[in-house]
Amino acid sequence: MEQFLQAAIIGVSLGAQYALLALGFTLIFGILGVVNFSHGGFYMLGGYVAYSCVAGLGLPYPLAVLVAVLATGALGWVFELFLLERLVDDHLATLMLTLGLYLVISTGLLTIFGPLSMEFAFPVTGALHVGPIYVPRENLVVLVVCLAAIAALWLVLYRTDLGRGLRALADDRAVAMAQGLRPKLLFPLAFAIATGLAGLTGALVTPILSLSPGVGDPVLATSFLTVILGGLGSLEGAALAAFVVGIVEAFSSVYFGGSIGALVLFVLVLLLLVFRPTGLLGRTVRGA
Amino acid sequence: MRSRISLLGWAELVALLLLAVGFIAPMVTRSVLVYSILNQIFIDVIAAESVWIMLRMNLLSFATPAFMAIGGYTVAIAGQYNITDAFLMSTAAFVLPALVAIPLGALVLRLRGTYFVLVTFVLSQIMQLLLFETPGLTGGSNGIAGVPPVTLLGTEMGSNRLVLQFACGLAILATLITGLLTRWFRQHFAAIEENEILAESLGLVVWRYKALGFVVAAGVAGLAGYSLVNMLLTAHPTSFDSATSVDFIAYTIIGGRASILGPVLGTGALVYATNLFGTHGQYAQGLYGVLILVVVLAARGGIVGTIAAVWRRLSGRRS
Repeated sequence: MEQFLQAAIIGVSLGAQYALLALGFTLIFGILGVVNFSHGGFYMLGGYVAYSCVAGLGLPYPLAVLVAVLATGALGWVFELFLLERLVDDHLATLMLTLGLYLVISTGLLTIFGPLSMEFAFPVTGALHVGPIYVPRENLVVLVVCLAAIAALWLVLYRTDLGRGLRALADDRAVAMAQGLRPKLLFPLAFAIATGLAGLTGALVTPILSLSPGVGDPVLATSFLTVILGGLGSLEGAALAAFVVGIVEAFSSVYFGGSIGALVLFVLVLLLLVFRPTGLLGRTVRGA
Repeated sequence: MRSRISLLGWAELVALLLLAVGFIAPMVTRSVLVYSILNQIFIDVIAAESVWIMLRMNLLSFATPAFMAIGGYTVAIAGQYNITDAFLMSTAAFVLPALVAIPLGALVLRLRGTYFVLVTFVLSQIMQLLLFETPGLTGGSNGIAGVPPVTLLGTEMGSNRLVLQFACGLAILATLITGLLTRWFRQHFAAIEENEILAESLGLVVWRYKALGFVVAAGVAGLAGYSLVNMLLTAHPTSFDSATSVDFIAYTIIGGRASILGPVLGTGALVYATNLFGTHGQYAQGLYGVLILVVVLAARGGIVGTIAAVWRRLSGRRS
């Protein structure tokens, strides 16, 4: 029973991290119709910016996380505004652009920081003992911050005019533009929010997992699995699927060990594509 | 309509001719560096052609290393039973990945192209896990070492020169297969590339042609895996790292999507350029990234398209 509860807690904590990543990814796809291959790159960049702020500038960790969010958001904004925007309706071209950016980011990080992992430790250590259950404090902090970020994103998207505008563009770009919404203003902003979320996840999670120039690839693969599972472009679907992925991964690693969880998830996704191609909560699939 | 299609066009013939030059190279030089670069070009050209087939239909495939692994490990496992016949193993290295691709392609290609990209990306990651998780079959993290060299008509192709020439032969075979497929279905593929919805509404069963392309692309990738294992005499999971799929995509996009010369010239140029980095090969991906951005934003035709445009301008001025 203790093992079960512990796996569940790890699963929920993983799920919250995946949700932040997948929400950003699906936000970009839903609103811009762009498959963002550089998402893992922004995750890494967030980790390295936070690391540099703590180790290089001596900033306190929470401030470093904030800097990482702003830096990744700003880079995403600039990239969308100056490069992606020109070809935003060409699905293959935008895919290749984000792939190119990912290669540039990861090689840049490799050049600056070298191939070895950074010693980047989470400032909160120790564990919380609730009866027989043992919960690392760092996971709790990450969980709380992730849930807060998800709530903030929800508030922005569903309770503000900006969010209504973004959702309108995702629903039907032509009608939204006829109503006076300006994609040239909102697209870079949406991209910046999404990359900022990836940066936030990177800054929060890399001190616990690891920080080296190769950590972006598996992050991207997990984001893909999550958004397919949840339905491409669906925000609620991405959040739900992220927790499914996190919990499956946690339980399979506790009970079976190794990488069986990833295999199970892949098969699950393939089966889902046969029986319900729109994902768990997806409606019609965006034409892409 | 059909009568105007020749089996191979000039681009395919030039590509074959370029590759054939590599066949003569070992008779001219014994330089280890030339051998190693040419070997890598011959292997990567096949992989890039596999990417190119799908790109003809506006689909970006990240699954090349996964199918290379199936082809490569097939040969390595057969080698353990001393089955090394070149014709038999080329067929097996082509057919097995193609068989795996059939159900997968039929499944994923009925959906929009985005799903294809995402699923192939995840597939090559999953293949890595599978290779590590099945030590009984694939040797797990040790891989399969000591694969015997291939035998062609009774001759063991063991020397460096023969290995290079065999790799060249496989590259020519893959180029022939790729060329024949894309020529034969040129109009179907072009219709899908141009406007998939229109093609479908005109009665073209789009997913069938996509699945066909995917199956052949998987087979071609299998040949690349064969060539790689035959050069290294080892099958190891790191040889089929999912990150290499990005390299093959870079070769194809930077070379140019419009003709088969794209993947051939792109692979040649970029493998050569990567070699200039010497021991710092890991930085080459940064170069690929910048070049991809340049190609997509400024030079849509890649190397081949740019050469063609310059050629047209020059010849136009003369007349």
